[in-house]
Amino acid sequence: MKRFLAFFSMLILGIAFVSFTLSQTGSPSAQMPDNVKAAVDKACFACHNTASQNAKAKEKLDFSTLSGLAKAAQIGKYREIGETIENGEMPPKKFLDNYPDKKLTAEESKLLIKWAEGEVKNLMKK
Amino acid sequence: MKKFRIAGLILAGIFIVLQFFQPELNRSGLGDNSILAKEKLPEPVAAMLKHSCFDCHSNQTNYPWYDRIAPASWLVAHHVKEGKKQLNFSDWGSKDVIDKITELGKIGDEVKSGNMPIPSYVMIHRDAKLSKEQTEELIAWTVKFSEELLAKEE
Ligand code: HEC
Ligand code: HEC
Repeated sequence: MKRFLAFFSMLILGIAFVSFTLSQTGSPSAQMPDNVKAAVDKACFACHNTASQNAKAKEKLDFSTLSGLAKAAQIGKYREIGETIENGEMPPKKFLDNYPDKKLTAEESKLLIKWAEGEVKNLMKK
Repeated sequence: MKKFRIAGLILAGIFIVLQFFQPELNRSGLGDNSILAKEKLPEPVAAMLKHSCFDCHSNQTNYPWYDRIAPASWLVAHHVKEGKKQLNFSDWGSKDVIDKITELGKIGDEVKSGNMPIPSYVMIHRDAKLSKEQTEELIAWTVKFSEELLAKEE
């Protein structure tokens, strides 16, 4: 019985550890709808994540840690995401010259803008 | 020797002519809609914004004499134009709470990374320099003030 308990708690700890590390790195915040995540993965995530080589980009926005920020900070970031896409500032023009296939389609842009504004509203309500 | 004198005179002439081409000054006043008019900021924070940011991020720039001489005056005008486009503390009152929070977040980021106030500007305008303690105080204020704005909304 004792051995079983020990084994069981190790298992729980193991799962907790794995899910913790996954939530720290890996991909954008878990709560994103699939289609949003796909668009972010395609056009944004490479520069805006914790492991990014692009120091300036990750300093301004890190999708891997976004959901861990204070509420007010998250609101600001989601508003900025919506604005930069709306103004056509992101992904950067220079980057798109080299990787034209990373350009957001009109639908993807609309989807991301709507998602970002939705997140702002949700956070304001909480 | 004579050649040098002529070259010097020509340069001086160009310099004098340049002075007739001055950009418009940004001096319509901080205004009733400014962050200072609309909010009760802690005294040290208000002073930091005034000395380190308003020259480029408000409708009231202070021009010491050396900022009025071309070509320096053109550089200043350029900074003011681009700076106000991104952030204008004179428009604070017309922003909604989400935009205010967003601006505060950006202010914290820019000050933390040392992008703002623009280092080349600080080299000449020494009173705009923020010490390490001041920088930390300003960043802490952006966080605290965003949370206050948020709490008021609820
Ligand atoms: C090629 C790398 C790259 C890609 C891809 C990219 N960004 Fe950026 N992003 C940057 C850099 C670099 C900056 C910092 C720009 C600066 O400081 O001038 C930045 C800044 C930002 C900012 C902060 C803007 C500000 O004014 O402070 C936001 C928000 C942002 N990006 C969102 C996105 C979104 C959303 C996407 C995907 C649609 C995206 N980025 C794709 C490199 C990238
Ligand atoms: C000498 C002029 C000057 C001073 C002084 C100055 N700024 Fe700026 N600021 C600019 C310019 C020009 C830009 C736009 C270009 C850029 O982003 O580099 C800007 C951009 C910004 C942005 C937007 C950045 C972004 O990417 O969205 C913020 C926020 C900002 N400044 C905050 C501040 C704060 C806070 C201070 C005072 C501590 C300050 N600035 C002092 C000229 C100035």
